[in-house]
Amino acid sequence: MSAALRVQDLDVLFGNDERPSHREMKALILPRTFDEPRGYRVGLADVTFSVNGGDCLAVLGASGDGKSSLLRTLAGLQVLRRGQVVVNGRDVTALPPEKRGVVYLHQEPVLFPHLAVHENVAFPLTLRGVPKRDAVRRGLEWLERLQVSDVSGNMPDALSGGQRHRVALARALCAEPAVLLLDEPLASLDPAVRRDVRAALLEARAASGAAMVLVTHDLDDALAVATHMSLIDWMTLTTPREPAALIQAPPSLEAARLVGIFSEITGEVVQENGGRCFHWIGGTLPAGELDAGPAVACVRSHEVTVERSEEIHPSTLLITDRRDAAHDVVLTLCDTAGGTVTVSTSGNTRLGVGDGVVVAIAHARVFADRGRPRV
Amino acid sequence: MTPRLSMRALSVVALTLFASAPLAMLVVTSIARGWFYPSVVPSSVDGGAWAELFRDASHRTALLNSVVLAVSTALVGTALALPLGRAAALSTRGVRRSVALLAFTAVALPPVALGAGLQLSVLTLGLGGTVVGVFLAHLVPALGYLTLVFLGVFTRWDLRLEEAAATLGAGGLERWRHLMLPLLRRPITEALALGFLVSWAQVALTLLVGGGAVRTLPLDVLAMLQAGQDQRAAAGALALAIPALFVLGVSRVAAGNTPAVVA
Repeated sequence: MSAALRVQDLDVLFGNDERPSHREMKALILPRTFDEPRGYRVGLADVTFSVNGGDCLAVLGASGDGKSSLLRTLAGLQVLRRGQVVVNGRDVTALPPEKRGVVYLHQEPVLFPHLAVHENVAFPLTLRGVPKRDAVRRGLEWLERLQVSDVSGNMPDALSGGQRHRVALARALCAEPAVLLLDEPLASLDPAVRRDVRAALLEARAASGAAMVLVTHDLDDALAVATHMSLIDWMTLTTPREPAALIQAPPSLEAARLVGIFSEITGEVVQENGGRCFHWIGGTLPAGELDAGPAVACVRSHEVTVERSEEIHPSTLLITDRRDAAHDVVLTLCDTAGGTVTVSTSGNTRLGVGDGVVVAIAHARVFADRGRPRV
Repeated sequence: MTPRLSMRALSVVALTLFASAPLAMLVVTSIARGWFYPSVVPSSVDGGAWAELFRDASHRTALLNSVVLAVSTALVGTALALPLGRAAALSTRGVRRSVALLAFTAVALPPVALGAGLQLSVLTLGLGGTVVGVFLAHLVPALGYLTLVFLGVFTRWDLRLEEAAATLGAGGLERWRHLMLPLLRRPITEALALGFLVSWAQVALTLLVGGGAVRTLPLDVLAMLQAGQDQRAAAGALALAIPALFVLGVSRVAAGNTPAVVA
């Protein structure tokens, strides 16, 4: 199956104009590529990935990492310096946004305020010369599918937040795009509306056959919608992988931090008996081929077992703090030398402050601690 | 009626009288015959002044000149100010400030000072004493006002609307036709009205650049007043006021219920 969207060696630029709209306007009226990006700097380098029709790639990244800039570049709304964007086998790198077959959905849904909901949804079809009656009928089909046909006669300012998202999504799908770009569509929604819009996105993915790229900083959003996931790590995009595989084995410490579900245990990798071990205050873990030096072990709560210890061992730790989270217990532990570590566990929840414990870790991902990248 | 409401009603009545009294006086004066102090009302009324105003070919020429100048100033001024204001608003802060300063200068300079400068420029172009020269002179303050209008509109313009339309398949012209023109209907109609009114009321620039060779209705009314022809001057002044009020009214209706276009 050939990819609906293929991105090759793309450099995503960050503008530093005083006003973002300046560079946006440039992208709307000037050629899409240029050689000397004065006033710009490369934010993401060598971005390469592909997405098949009907699949959804979630790009997980922290705020300011260039997630939106990546989507805007793919949509042709932002100038680029280097790289290639191919949609359904057609190189669209130098084409304006309207000729790419790519629809970009802003974080806050942007509906045309002078058009009623059914006219908004029919808008892309009327542009193609579809008679208004047919365009509206097809628009209504999408509104029904996304369960907002009851507001088809309303003006946009009369819609709730969730309805606006659904209408914007229906309008995007009505354009029958080859690629649908979603810029944190769930970021500003309350939990109930978020569930609704997630369901709408799943329906859209199943029904449209478009390749979708979703950028988000929320792992749950990514897991709910995506078939593949990439992380923005040290100004690069990691190779897309299935979400479960990426969570099981993140490629770097930064990636693990982005995933956001790991407890971090600091320690040191040392060379021992021909192998390398990770030493931390509660014990030792295998460190694979990692070079000796400061390191961090990332563990998930279900991989951590904390048992009360009646006897004092070198690896016995003392609970100094306990906090209950939604599904886990977060324990702060210290050893006799004053070293501390905080771990989440979904196991023994009857432990309390002052208990002596031993910690067993079933599986850990150990990474060298390089500090934060300088962007 | 509460004291607060009665104060409000009193204020509205007072303002209405204040605004309409000069117009009412003009109406009465334009049709009064033999109305001298201390008479409270004229001894008789007739439409002689109005008939003379429209019978006189030179007045008709002045009226035509005024209409031609005002309409062309409104159209050309709006056509130039819209893209200028948009480009400046979406540009860097330095460009935005420079354009705003230039536009404000054209508006804030005293008409006589501006007229003296324009007179020299227009004479250099060989257009002194011509309708085209006067039109160019009227265009300068009009462009200043209208650029400031569109600068304000586009500073608050939500560019995401254009982006959304673009990725949905709308090219540049389609974005203008389906999105921008409907959303900008109110500022455009108001700019057309403002451009018309700036030119329609010009005296100093017309006098300085037209050099008396280009007659307009305001100049004729001024001449009648100086000659003590109160009745004809009142009719002329009303002839000046009525189109202005009409244009204002039409612009309000044409603007309709255009939704807000700003972010």
